[in-house]
Amino acid sequence: MDKYKAREDLIAALTEDVSPVKPVRPHEGAAMIVFASVAASIACLVIFGFWQGMINGEASPYFWISNGLLALAGAASTSALVSSVLPRVGAHGSAPLWSVAMLAVLPFAAIIAFLSYEAGHNHGIGMSDPGLMYGECALYGFMASLVVAGAAIAFVRRGAPVSLNRSGWLIGLASGSLGALAYNITCPIDSLMHVGIWHVLPVFIAALFWRYAAPPLIRW
Amino acid sequence: MVADEPTFARLMQAAQNGDKAATNVLLSEAGLWLERYFRRRMPPHAIDDLVQDVIISLYTKRATWDPSRPFLPWLAAIARYRWVDHLRKIYKHESKELMEDDAAQDSDEDVVMARISLDRLFGQLPERQAEVIEMVKISGLSIKEAADKTGQSESLVKVNIHRGLKKLATMVEKAE
Repeated sequence: MDKYKAREDLIAALTEDVSPVKPVRPHEGAAMIVFASVAASIACLVIFGFWQGMINGEASPYFWISNGLLALAGAASTSALVSSVLPRVGAHGSAPLWSVAMLAVLPFAAIIAFLSYEAGHNHGIGMSDPGLMYGECALYGFMASLVVAGAAIAFVRRGAPVSLNRSGWLIGLASGSLGALAYNITCPIDSLMHVGIWHVLPVFIAALFWRYAAPPLIRW
Repeated sequence: MVADEPTFARLMQAAQNGDKAATNVLLSEAGLWLERYFRRRMPPHAIDDLVQDVIISLYTKRATWDPSRPFLPWLAAIARYRWVDHLRKIYKHESKELMEDDAAQDSDEDVVMARISLDRLFGQLPERQAEVIEMVKISGLSIKEAADKTGQSESLVKVNIHRGLKKLATMVEKAE
């Protein structure tokens, strides 16, 4: 009998100052992440300058393919992330996983192209590609992703994610993709070796980083 | 008899709108539903604590229920999360007890100064909150020991510590 009395006391204490609440809406989270991505892009444009190649046709197909895939991976993982803040049971969608798998095709293509060059097939791709020297692009992309991750974590903390590890992965994938995209549009180096490795790497670094760093920040 | 899905959904909508009576009924009914949920998952003596933890979560996270979706899967997801969290804490606690070393000691002067400041702040808190903060956060008693001493339930001790600390933080912020 005592335990029911204790529960009644708890309920009475909780409802003492009950007030209306505004339901958490996933589209608000998506808006926050888009806003942060735009802010990161503007910051990158201010710091690194606008690359004219994007509008005068100079940009190679690799530029458009890599950035298009990053945008899709970012959209899929953002959509999954903002939905995950509302508790629910059942199977999770695998769209983010497939979109990142598609993104992983780029570094594979770069490695295979390099190996075939070494085997004597000249596709104009090899270790002599100067784009390979500019690994700092991965660092800049990761730095830009921190802005997006901040917004994502702020929104997730308002909600109630019931799978913290999955939310950690999704925060990393969404922020990594959109942060890398924010920086990549300013980068004039658009060879396959460069975009396939350095422009995509921040996604995998951010995913791994936030898988472990995010759960303590979003636990409730 | 435990409430059905439409009743829960109606009560939850009222709770989101700030209806105190509906919130009371909702939490009581949810408690009964949760007891059944945990009966097959937990030893009998641990069920009530976990039910109370989920009731607190249900209340604090009530904004995350989408009225266009069913209520019970939402509640089940929270119950499962709390259950896993509970198991994780038990595991961590047992590991910590095995690995724990002596805690660092503060200097006597620091302890006396902190005590004076805390006593002044505690004077502005309701007694029920001040006594459990004193027991758990200063004297190092467990939640269960504080609950036994004060006659409050373990979950109520947690609520009072949470609210008391929040008030203390506000007071300290204002003082600075």
